[in-house]
Amino acid sequence: MPSTLVCASDAPAMNTADPLLEVRDLKVHFFTRDGVVRAVDGVDYSVNRAETLGIVGESGSGKTVSSLAMLRLVPPPARTMGGQVLFEGEDLLAHTPKQMAALRGRRIAMIFQNPATSLNPIYSVGAQLSEILMWHEKASRRQAEERVVELLGLVGISDPGARLRQFPHELSGGMKQRVGIARALMCNPSLVLADEPTTALDVTIQAQILELLADLQARFRMSMVLVTHDMGVVARMATRITVMYAGRVCETADAGTIFSAPQHPYTRALLDSMPRIDQSYSGSARKTLPTIAGRPPNLLNPPPGCRFHDRCPEAMPECRKMMPVETTIAPGHSVSCLRRGSTGVAA
Amino acid sequence: MAIETATLNAVQRAPGVWRQSWYRFRRNRAGMLGLGLVTLVVVVALIAPFVAPFEPTDQSAMLRGAARRPPDAIHWLGTDRNGYDVFSRLLYGARTALLVGLGAMTIASLIGVIIGGIAGYAGGMTDELLMRFAEFFMVIPVFIVILAVVRLFGIVVVGTWMEDIPNLNLLTIIVLLGCFEWPPIARMARAEFLRLRNAEFVEAAVCIGTPRRDILVRHILPNALPSLIVLVALGIGGAILAETMVSFLGFGDPKAVSWGQSLYFNYEALKVAPWAVLAPGGALFCTVLGFNLLADGLTDAFNPRLRQ
Amino acid sequence: MTALLDVESLSKHYPVHQRRLFRARIRSEIRAVHNVSFRIEEGQTLSLVGESGCGKTTTARAILNLVEPTDGIVRFMGEDVVPIFREGDRARVLGIRRSLQYVFQDPWLSLNPRWTIGETLKEPLRVHRPDEPARWNARVEELLEMVGLEPHHAWRYPHEFSGGQRQRVGIARALAVEPKLLILDEPVSSLDVSVRAQILNLLAEIQDRLGVAYLYISHDLSSVRFISSHVAVMYLGKLVEIGAVDEVFTNPRHHYTRALLSAIPVPEPGAAQTRIVLQGEVPSAMRRPTGCPFHPRCAAALPVCAEIEPMLEPPSGGHGIACHNPA
Repeated sequence: MPSTLVCASDAPAMNTADPLLEVRDLKVHFFTRDGVVRAVDGVDYSVNRAETLGIVGESGSGKTVSSLAMLRLVPPPARTMGGQVLFEGEDLLAHTPKQMAALRGRRIAMIFQNPATSLNPIYSVGAQLSEILMWHEKASRRQAEERVVELLGLVGISDPGARLRQFPHELSGGMKQRVGIARALMCNPSLVLADEPTTALDVTIQAQILELLADLQARFRMSMVLVTHDMGVVARMATRITVMYAGRVCETADAGTIFSAPQHPYTRALLDSMPRIDQSYSGSARKTLPTIAGRPPNLLNPPPGCRFHDRCPEAMPECRKMMPVETTIAPGHSVSCLRRGSTGVAA
Repeated sequence: MAIETATLNAVQRAPGVWRQSWYRFRRNRAGMLGLGLVTLVVVVALIAPFVAPFEPTDQSAMLRGAARRPPDAIHWLGTDRNGYDVFSRLLYGARTALLVGLGAMTIASLIGVIIGGIAGYAGGMTDELLMRFAEFFMVIPVFIVILAVVRLFGIVVVGTWMEDIPNLNLLTIIVLLGCFEWPPIARMARAEFLRLRNAEFVEAAVCIGTPRRDILVRHILPNALPSLIVLVALGIGGAILAETMVSFLGFGDPKAVSWGQSLYFNYEALKVAPWAVLAPGGALFCTVLGFNLLADGLTDAFNPRLRQ
Repeated sequence: MTALLDVESLSKHYPVHQRRLFRARIRSEIRAVHNVSFRIEEGQTLSLVGESGCGKTTTARAILNLVEPTDGIVRFMGEDVVPIFREGDRARVLGIRRSLQYVFQDPWLSLNPRWTIGETLKEPLRVHRPDEPARWNARVEELLEMVGLEPHHAWRYPHEFSGGQRQRVGIARALAVEPKLLILDEPVSSLDVSVRAQILNLLAEIQDRLGVAYLYISHDLSSVRFISSHVAVMYLGKLVEIGAVDEVFTNPRHHYTRALLSAIPVPEPGAAQTRIVLQGEVPSAMRRPTGCPFHPRCAAALPVCAEIEPMLEPPSGGHGIACHNPA
């Protein structure tokens, strides 16, 4: 039965600064044959308790790499070159690999983009989920399986007892992603990192999964980082939004502000360039979407100053020379743009 | 101004796929070593008649009682039990080895690409039949067939015109090797044609109305070549090794100068005149190693994503 | 006026074989596309939307004869093209191919990696204008300019280009021989948001300039709204709703269309959007429900929906739906 509900993402922004996770000046560089690619170049953001931070950006903006770096999972030839990742007060970048392994999946869990490849095809659903609990919490198989059944029920899988013995290939895409979500929740993590969790799914299934995630997040008051390129998805899910471009943060604000009063020219241009389903384009007034001229910079050799200046409609000569620093312009709203009063440092 | 722009664009013209592969290959040490070894063998084969101090059939040392002499100033690698100059025969052996390797693999590639290509592109029943046919060839013990055919042929041709064909035995071996080495190439060609037949750029060509022959020759084959070249390079080494084994067992061509033959003649004198065995053995080792390393390097160069 | 493209009861069924050692036994069939009818007038854009596996791409491929339709008539410029392709008379096939071109979804796969852009663009000219090779270069330059690239790009290889630029090349190749109808198979879904807008603008501009008709296939409803004049919604191989784009988007009458539209997250937080979340998933085409294929997920299903398959009346410019109990 279809259920009809009204949008739930109207939770007020958590202004009380209670950051669960703080990323400061994170830098990740790829060392390729052609040179150093500064995929993430001084990124700051924070996630408060019980909120969802949406990180949006196009491919190559560094959104995925920065979230992987948080978990110390960047693959070679990439290396984390600096910065801090403070999670519940501990700097994750200073942790030993062993400490990180104990933390991943227990206190910070991940939901992956492609449910088809993120589950191991040769183990049953029950086996690979209960293993997590047996490993992190030293639970017995019996206890672990009980918890798996409970969680599978929680993520909306019917007849969880029977699903335990099924293998990933016996499940549909949407079911697999539900299992992926159950896996992330196994140890009651305080932070869930979801990287494009619905991109591989069809729209009607995407709607189901987003509803499930919003519901679970509200129920367990967990924090979530949602990495996506889809403005619609963040609008539906996020409390606050960070917009990234070419390895840097453009703008961070609560979701309402990003959509109603975006400040950074890139955020504005990005929002304008999307066709909308609730607007008519036929008739005489047809048919040019505002676009962003040019294309994203090659990060082997990024433009000097502001990364966006050569595509920016509002660029001024200083934008070439000065790198804008993220500056708070209103409570909870920070922008890095010289036009919006950011201070700049010489490039 | 116009000229300037033109030259600028010419300079900017980026490397094509082949040249990129070469850039990658150049950075692969083992591959470059293989290429060096193979080049060496090719050069030796080309210049053998000009630099070899003796004719490969020259047994005069025997008459002088200088057989099985260790290396000295006249015979740089010594002489063997038949009085041949080991160095000269080493040089000439490179020609035979390359002839066998290239000849056999040319035949094998032709058969393999045609059969595999047809199977992959046509699909269905044709594919089934051709691949069962290929499997049939794969289960035949090549070696025994070669030995039997060479021996039989040697008897059959006596007294016929075919007796006059020079190096008949060697040709037989080459043709037989070619006829039995094609199934791996056919399999690879089939897999590649099958993959490329459904590639979007091939479908795009179908939509344009490109004739089928053009699709096969201009779209599919060039994209299938890299994997086939790797197999052929590997196969050359294999064919050389196979010919050596046949010769070593005494079924080789008595008139051809081959490393295997030298091993066959001299292995009994290993203790007395080790140079006569070590030299062709070493040459063989280097040649086969060269082709294998080359193939390995080519794999990496053509498929950069396989290895990080 | 005859329509440019008139598809009538097009079907593509795939037999499902169970392999035995020596014989293949047909067990059942998958109805990838079943009884699909629509028309496209000159210079119009019809969008075919639906979720993965609904048969929209198969429909396009059947029109192009990349797969042979099981049944139905595809009338293009007044001629039924299915028998022409089947007989394979080269001159006639080329005549159709030239006016009916395809732009592929993935610009990374649809260009031959070993050819320069110039060679790729010359291919249609070589096939369709073999007698005037002297003019090929000029035409390539013209095409590159038309899609917003530069003449010297003709010397480059596909791997040097970004996704958006490659898609421009794909469009230029399709336009090379002045087709009447372009079939665009998810041309922007693999591109970034900002590039997407550029390509959509380019497509709109080309249509205004050349009057070419589009069959636009997509699951991305916002781009459909932008580009098309008409839209057809598919579910499990069947058209469920068809009509003018504004009509369908503002007044969807099939329950599936309504759910599909409401499932799209709107970039506006807190938008007072009535969200219909469909339960369950699209059944596999092998286990197609009886009656209306949508009835197991439909909130407004009546008993009759499980028994009798609702038919889509031949759309004669109006708004057609296949539903017993429309909204």
